[in-house]
Amino acid sequence: MRRGDGPARLVESASSARILSKEECDAIARRVIGFARGGGETRVRILSWWNGELRWARNRVSLASDRRDIRVEISRTVGVGRGSVGENQLDDASLEAAVRGAERGAVLSPNILRPPPGMPPLPHATYPRTALWSDATYAVTPETRGEVARALVAPAEAQGMLSAGYLEMRAGSLVSVSSERLTDPYAPWDVPYASWTQAQCSMTVRDAQGTGSGWAGLSGSDWGKIDGVALAARALEKCKASQHPVSLEPGRYTVILEPQAVADLMELVAASMSRPAPENSGAGPWALAPDEALHLWRTKLGLKVLDERITISHDPADPALGILAEPWMQPVTWFDKGVLTNLAFDREYALDQLNVNPGLRGMVGYRMSGGDTSIDEMIATTARGLLVTRFSDIRRLDEKSLLGTGLTRDGLWLIEHGKITKAVKNFRFTESPLFALNAIEQLGVPVPVFRPVKDPYDAQNPLTPAIVPPLKVRDFSFTSTIDAI
Amino acid sequence: MNLTRRNLLKAGALAAAAAAIPRPLLAQLGRTPEPLPPIDDPRLKALASSALETARAAGAVYADVRLTHSRLRTFWPVYTADDESMEVGVRALMDGYWGFASGPVWSPDEMARLGREAVHQAKVNALGKRRVVELAAVPVVASGNWVMPVAIDPFEISPFEVQDFLTSLDLYCGRIPDSGLQQNFAFAAVQEKAFASTEGSYCTQRFYRTEGSLIVRLQLTKERAGNFAVEGLSPAGMGWELYTAERIPRLREHSLREEIRRGIEELREELLLPVKPVDVGRYDAVLDAPTVASLVDKTLGRATELDRALGFEANAGGTSYLTDPFGMLGSYQAGAPAFTLTAERSEPGAVATVKWDDEGVAPDSFTLVKDGVLTDFQTTRESAGWMKNSYAKAGRPVRSHGCAGAPSAVEAPLQQAPNLTLVPGREAHDFDALVSGTARGIAIKGAGIDMDFQHSSGLGIGRVFEIKNGKRVAAIDSAGFLFRATELWKALHATGGEASLRRYGMMTEKGEPAERCYHSVTAAPVVVKDLTLIDPQRKA
Repeated sequence: MRRGDGPARLVESASSARILSKEECDAIARRVIGFARGGGETRVRILSWWNGELRWARNRVSLASDRRDIRVEISRTVGVGRGSVGENQLDDASLEAAVRGAERGAVLSPNILRPPPGMPPLPHATYPRTALWSDATYAVTPETRGEVARALVAPAEAQGMLSAGYLEMRAGSLVSVSSERLTDPYAPWDVPYASWTQAQCSMTVRDAQGTGSGWAGLSGSDWGKIDGVALAARALEKCKASQHPVSLEPGRYTVILEPQAVADLMELVAASMSRPAPENSGAGPWALAPDEALHLWRTKLGLKVLDERITISHDPADPALGILAEPWMQPVTWFDKGVLTNLAFDREYALDQLNVNPGLRGMVGYRMSGGDTSIDEMIATTARGLLVTRFSDIRRLDEKSLLGTGLTRDGLWLIEHGKITKAVKNFRFTESPLFALNAIEQLGVPVPVFRPVKDPYDAQNPLTPAIVPPLKVRDFSFTSTIDAI
Repeated sequence: MNLTRRNLLKAGALAAAAAAIPRPLLAQLGRTPEPLPPIDDPRLKALASSALETARAAGAVYADVRLTHSRLRTFWPVYTADDESMEVGVRALMDGYWGFASGPVWSPDEMARLGREAVHQAKVNALGKRRVVELAAVPVVASGNWVMPVAIDPFEISPFEVQDFLTSLDLYCGRIPDSGLQQNFAFAAVQEKAFASTEGSYCTQRFYRTEGSLIVRLQLTKERAGNFAVEGLSPAGMGWELYTAERIPRLREHSLREEIRRGIEELREELLLPVKPVDVGRYDAVLDAPTVASLVDKTLGRATELDRALGFEANAGGTSYLTDPFGMLGSYQAGAPAFTLTAERSEPGAVATVKWDDEGVAPDSFTLVKDGVLTDFQTTRESAGWMKNSYAKAGRPVRSHGCAGAPSAVEAPLQQAPNLTLVPGREAHDFDALVSGTARGIAIKGAGIDMDFQHSSGLGIGRVFEIKNGKRVAAIDSAGFLFRATELWKALHATGGEASLRRYGMMTEKGEPAERCYHSVTAAPVVVKDLTLIDPQRKA
């Protein structure tokens, strides 16, 4: 590969090409690999993203934006050394300079990411097609965003309320290649060109005196599946119904958790789904006490840990659950009718401990089973309880029980004798999702929830969809009242 | 010369610079791409101006542009990773609506595209209902250049010097019985920024940010173990001297090794205290400086952001407990008479320190709370305009306090937190002296604070000790405290003196899309009365 074969000009940023195409990425990767000197392996990861954004507050748009950027990460492994450099320019001079920088790093730093000796050769990797891209999202223009925002704000403004919200359409692309595998098949840590879109729409409606607040939101790859008008109507309705809340005694309550509240609570579980490393065997919620006699650490795999009506799984082919494809990606079930069936692990652990080759993902995207009881039916069959819109500011208190604390937000109502009777002041809860998922009374129909990836530079998991049911749960612990509305 | 570590260290700084990325990145200032010039090169001014000309021609009544060139370097004891980027962003105002466009390319074509796109974004929304924007006046900075002064530029020294220093801390810690380093890495960032506006301002600046994480673990027995983060390494507007200096006023009184040694000794004493369960109730509480800094930041630091107080963050981080900002100004009792909170962006070594903010405003020093009374808010040019009537009534000029900022030019400027200082007490007390002066109560160290989304009430979890007759006599297991912001600051009983002030760099996330910016908070240890102690893990 001769230097200077690439374009001497800077990357063209025509407004029609908001992210890098597969051809452009392949060409960049080849140029980078061509600049390498001194042998060894060159890895290059190229990420590009575009955001079309519109934010509003107090019923008026505060900022509309078109933003884009690129990240190129180049690493050179030469002998026992490895160096890496990141930058965001695509011209020859900058890329070559980055390769030189990585080479200097390689001469002078050990390769801390060297795979352990004795790893078996890499088998051929297959990547399933996942539903990441939606033309509908990519095609949305600033004009459309503006019209949508005005339509979402109008009902709130007409009723004297203040609406604040955010619309974002994003597209991104990612490719990760190694000089040792310029053509298919890709190695497990290489990513064949993937492109995705993400759309999100959320709003908070408050009354002018600040005595009530309602929220609704949804995210996903496909803007066509997001009904902004319905979301706006729900946020407005919740705002009106939440005005002038009364104080209630903290305590244990039967709660009806809307799907967003369940998803918020589930983040504590989703973050805990890795197998602990052998030297850390007792850590996390899924370890059993050690068997002192056999000197064995065991996990709760195979044990029933949740209500048998709960199954949490992910099928890469599911059009509603598209995530970045991994090699040999199969459908996986982490909880099967309440039984813990899988925990995530990386390839090293797989080979070392399990004698299998590919790793297994955690709950990047997931579907949770439910039932067919509607929220209205749940309310009608509740003698005394609370209806929760969502939780906020959740933090984990204990890693073994997954006990967490957080706040209710944007709509909390008391139910008495099958009817919503009062708006209630927000509570701080102290509860574990594992406890809650063992105290389920009723389940509703699972629906997609608001779970967007905030950082456009995130190259690990650019989409994190979840489908979650509403749940009625008994004995949910609320430990104090807060004044925040 | 062979490219070996030994040769590089021998050859010194020049050779070390050669070990860095051989730049330049390229900018297209004219017809062809050329190496990135220094940020104060007049050709960059021409480039920036072309973006503004396009925005004006497209109909903007006001526009500004930022170009940033950022470098990041992460150091571990055995490895260094580098990152570098160039970004440019244009903001345009038309009919009371803002538009913004940004990208990674510095070229005349791109300036024109961004100028047009920013106006396009504004126009599309200007078709909606009427919106008025009054930008507070700002003196034009026809041409200005400022470089944040640092003693050791972390990008001009050999990365091996840094790696060796980090390794030496590892070795030092390992020689102390029962202890080891759990985390040891450092981080340096430098950003060059050019700002231009259609009002004729043009200024260039260079900022540094250095920080590190040094977590020491002490394991006395299987049950008695703990860790602490070495103080003085939170984000600072400083260079590598953050690590190597023998003493840094307001950060640490001793060298890093000495801080490690003293921290281990103190933790050892604390681990040998008897452990008691929580006795829920209200106590007089001595809070150490980092706890106070977090509390100040997360209560009034957030609540006095004027855009937040008016609902501009309602869909993101939340609102403010100062629910009627204009009515409360000058009358709301936010704390005890001894409570005064000031703000600025000029303190040397602080991490929000700039010469001009992201709107070309030279920030001033201002007082948010004076003698317990709310007196001002954090503002940008637009939000200062909202304060017009309040300022007129108080006989104060309508000016932005210079709080506009963004992580880089690819993000739009928002009102970000400035540096905050809780004014110290007059007596020369420090944490130990405040403990000695407490007959019965609790002492709280290193608490992390969670606030609610109105920043009005919160939960703190940290290391809690029982105080009896002026001494810490027991450690209280699994303890936390609940508080309401205004009650807390009204219950302020004593504040440490000037010598006990400590400065902490904080990172905040604000906006949609989320932006992460840094600022410093300087506080002394305090005593507050009647703090509610709870067991945070106890269910209802």
